[in-house]
Amino acid sequence: MSILAEVLAELFGMFLADIRLTAAILALVAGVAAAMHWGAIGSLTGGGALLAGCLVLVIASVVLAARAASR
Amino acid sequence: MTDWSSLAPAVGAAFLASLVEVVEAFTIVLAVATVRGLRPAVTGTLAALAVLAATVLVLGPLLERVPIEALQLVIGILLLLFGLGWLRKAALRAGGVIALHDEEAIFARERAGLEAAVQGETSGNRARSLDWIAGITAFKAVLLEGLEVVFIVIAVGAGRGMLAPAALGALAACALVLTVGALMHKPLSRVPENTLKFGVGVMLSAFGVFWTGEGLGVAWPGHDLALLVLAVLFLGAGLLAASLARRISTEAAR
Repeated sequence: MSILAEVLAELFGMFLADIRLTAAILALVAGVAAAMHWGAIGSLTGGGALLAGCLVLVIASVVLAARAASR
Repeated sequence: MTDWSSLAPAVGAAFLASLVEVVEAFTIVLAVATVRGLRPAVTGTLAALAVLAATVLVLGPLLERVPIEALQLVIGILLLLFGLGWLRKAALRAGGVIALHDEEAIFARERAGLEAAVQGETSGNRARSLDWIAGITAFKAVLLEGLEVVFIVIAVGAGRGMLAPAALGALAACALVLTVGALMHKPLSRVPENTLKFGVGVMLSAFGVFWTGEGLGVAWPGHDLALLVLAVLFLGAGLLAASLARRISTEAAR
């Protein structure tokens, strides 16, 4: 039972290492998908927005974690 | 047609990611073998590999039934969560905010834990129960690290029908670690694990954006070659993040 719990914890940790980063990534993908679905942006702009959003998110997440650790 | 521009990133990512995970599992299996001998170490390892093989055999045929766009989208999002998480952690390590991964320290900790269990055990079935504890330790290490390998192989391979080449990349990493580990008989602490993790985070993030985009209907310019451009951009972002993190922690230390 403890092994199963550890496996589940490992799987959980694989995708939810940082809850704010996870939530932001899901919100970004949902936003880009919605904008593309309703024709607000084209395919290539959607790809660019997804890429730019991910680059900004990873930098912001590292900076926030570094600031929190230095307090 | 599958050419090098499709194959190289998938096989390379599977190889490097598996190298990191197998080195971590090897350290713990080696600690088990050092304290309790080869039998529990090998038994635990083989049992975990059997569970992982069964997982792949069940998941493989199921994935073939999923439409490719849906598969790319789901795997792409999971890769984004996994890859950006790895890249974040690697940048924090490179920036000196969190401690670097140290195989020697992990080996010493696991070994001390097992030796404490050996000394604390006083019952009649001592040897058998100690072998059981050691075997379970090896089993858990291989299973938990192996789950990540299985996910990475499926994630970088399934989106383009390249499961077999990606699996070969992972198997090559296993063979390399086992061969070098068997020859050296000590933790592979000279493997540049933290640098590798940075590189793997970069590649998984690039795959994540690529598959998620394809799943949403994005036609990437240059097709699979776009993966290399994405990887370069994520490498730049990771290095910038690490540099900012280092600056913040240096200023805080003053």
